[in-house]
Amino acid sequence: MSFREKIHWVAFVALLLAFGWYFISYPWPIMDTQEGVGAVAAMLFPVTVFIIGLMSILTAAVAIRSPKEANLKEDERERIIHLKGTHMAYYPLVLGVWGNLFAIFYHISAAGRLNLLIATVVLAELVRVGGQLYYYRRGY
Amino acid sequence: MARLPFDNDIKTLRFLSGEMTQGDLGDKVGVTRQTIAAIEQGKYSPSLEVAFRIARVFGKPLEEVFRWAEE
Repeated sequence: MSFREKIHWVAFVALLLAFGWYFISYPWPIMDTQEGVGAVAAMLFPVTVFIIGLMSILTAAVAIRSPKEANLKEDERERIIHLKGTHMAYYPLVLGVWGNLFAIFYHISAAGRLNLLIATVVLAELVRVGGQLYYYRRGY
Repeated sequence: MARLPFDNDIKTLRFLSGEMTQGDLGDKVGVTRQTIAAIEQGKYSPSLEVAFRIARVFGKPLEEVFRWAEE
């Protein structure tokens, strides 16, 4: 498994764990209140710290184990895999943006729209990283 | 996944070049070992530049490394 593929696995697992916790633990009954907005902000902070911390530690660990690969530049196959994953993520991102537009039209609460926005970004990221992992596993 | 319309002799040429590893070839060409493996297995179609670089490592013309499968 290449260095970049390992880093993608780290990102995928970190996203799943962090935002899995976020969406399970979010206090949904108070979403339509002002406290619901505060809860989003309060929960996003540890989620962000967790993702950055876990990714930094595991990336450093993988780089220490294979320093030669860590210093290699992305080659043409990896660049194409990168582009394909990003292309795949465009679709859930667009769907999420449209969802948010409708949420505004239908006067969904601020925290509701924030959560929809977060879900959109997380889904797009999971599709991007997951798509890249699929292509890494397939060979191309 | 659709199979590529051409084969290659990279594995044989590596063996004939002092049992060169995929990693060694990757270093010489400027790609990762995994990319060489994907090219060898016919999973990835390299750019013309990488194909030429591979052929140059073995000192062979391109058509002795990559061959159109229908021929």
